[in-house]
Amino acid sequence: MRRHIFLFLSILTVFVAGLVADEFKFPLKSDSVRFAAIGDMGTGEPPQYETAQQMLKARQTFPFDFVIMLGDNIYGGSKPVDFDRKFAVPYKPFIDAGVKFYASLGNHDNTNERFYTPFNMNGESYYTYKKGKVRFFVLNSNYMDPKQSAWLETQLRDAGNGDWKICYFHHPLYSSAKYHGPSLDLRKSLEPLFIKYGVDVVFAGHDHVYERVHPQHGIYYFTEGASGELRPGDLARSSITDKGFDTDRSFMLIEIASDDMYFQTISRTGDTVDSGVIHRTTR
Amino acid sequence: MRAKRRVLYRGFALLVTLSLAAAGVLAGQDAAPNKEQTDDAAAFKEFAGRVDEYLKLRKTIEKQLPAMKSKEELPEMIVAHQQALARKIREARPHARPGDIFTQATREAFRHVIRSVFQDPQTATARSTIRQRDPVKGIRLQVNGIYPDAVAETTFPSTLLQKLPALPDELAYRVVGRDLVLVDKNANLVVDLFPEALPKILERLE
Repeated sequence: MRRHIFLFLSILTVFVAGLVADEFKFPLKSDSVRFAAIGDMGTGEPPQYETAQQMLKARQTFPFDFVIMLGDNIYGGSKPVDFDRKFAVPYKPFIDAGVKFYASLGNHDNTNERFYTPFNMNGESYYTYKKGKVRFFVLNSNYMDPKQSAWLETQLRDAGNGDWKICYFHHPLYSSAKYHGPSLDLRKSLEPLFIKYGVDVVFAGHDHVYERVHPQHGIYYFTEGASGELRPGDLARSSITDKGFDTDRSFMLIEIASDDMYFQTISRTGDTVDSGVIHRTTR
Repeated sequence: MRAKRRVLYRGFALLVTLSLAAAGVLAGQDAAPNKEQTDDAAAFKEFAGRVDEYLKLRKTIEKQLPAMKSKEELPEMIVAHQQALARKIREARPHARPGDIFTQATREAFRHVIRSVFQDPQTATARSTIRQRDPVKGIRLQVNGIYPDAVAETTFPSTLLQKLPALPDELAYRVVGRDLVLVDKNANLVVDLFPEALPKILERLE
């Protein structure tokens, strides 16, 4: 028995040591696209502020230019004081440094947030923008009406195959979280378009956990809904879960250089909870 | 032998005649909509007309307010615009009541569509959307009242949105409990209510 315990501890030590030795590093290439991803953050509570501080620390070594927001940006009302306490104050250092935020709307957001200048939505609840060789499609998953579906199809088709195609919105199409789980109705509307027009990566929030889903039809799905809110222990890891984290808040850092996307997920306390590289194959 | 052949021939002819008749009936069904479909189409036309009337009124009101720019908007300006728009719409339709836009005939048509979506096994995902995604219940809404700012939205099933009459950008459908709500997005104002529009099956599945 003792021998077994010793053997187990030895293997564990080697494994942990290997993890430490293989500390993840971004390539930081000169022409790369670098950004952070946060979701379900707008609580105005200390964990949101602490996560923002950790992001600031991360930016010292990984200078990202913009942040994608996966919805539930301002919880519990949208009075001016809410905009300040739940966004402008915690992310002030980034705004002051010229970091841009590109928001999507969650089910807790007032639709008029689309007029709020720092969210860069230009009055639209769904929109698209391009950074380097990456085309972003920001959707309003609260309300996927035929008009928005038609708009998305046109945009995806017109974007061609040369650039990365990244979609982000609030409700996850795939999720192993117990509280909400996957948005199957939305998946029915969106997934055929994602497959048809070669979307590479999809980011969502809503479930207050972090999860990296095993690629579905060649598409990578991330849920990052724990940058302010958290539902501890909510992740029921399933066959689609490649990596999950549900014990603390987190955020993501992403660098896209040529055909590779490097990502790192960091907890509120600064631990790396996931990292890796996705190689893009044009479909 | 000849008699047997005659019987076979008559049987075959009868079969062909019946098949053609059945095909004719089915083709007729495809070509001509039934009464329910005709009534629904007329009701949705009426609904579109009432929505247009609301929009015309709204446009005249919005012209009186400083334009919402998509850039350089402070939270104070966003909130002020939302409140001013809601107040002016309320003043312009002080007697607005449930059923002004979701009229009785319109409600029937909406019920038919909603029932078809929620009863279709292919769209069971619509039911799960409403049940699983923070369903909003227990709040009392009123026409001309504000949709509570701190209350989350029930995610609207996209399979249902594909079937309901399309709305202009200024308006949106929302689900609160089993009620269907018509909301002015920028004013965050309840424009009309259709109580118990959604089937009871949703409650049973809770």
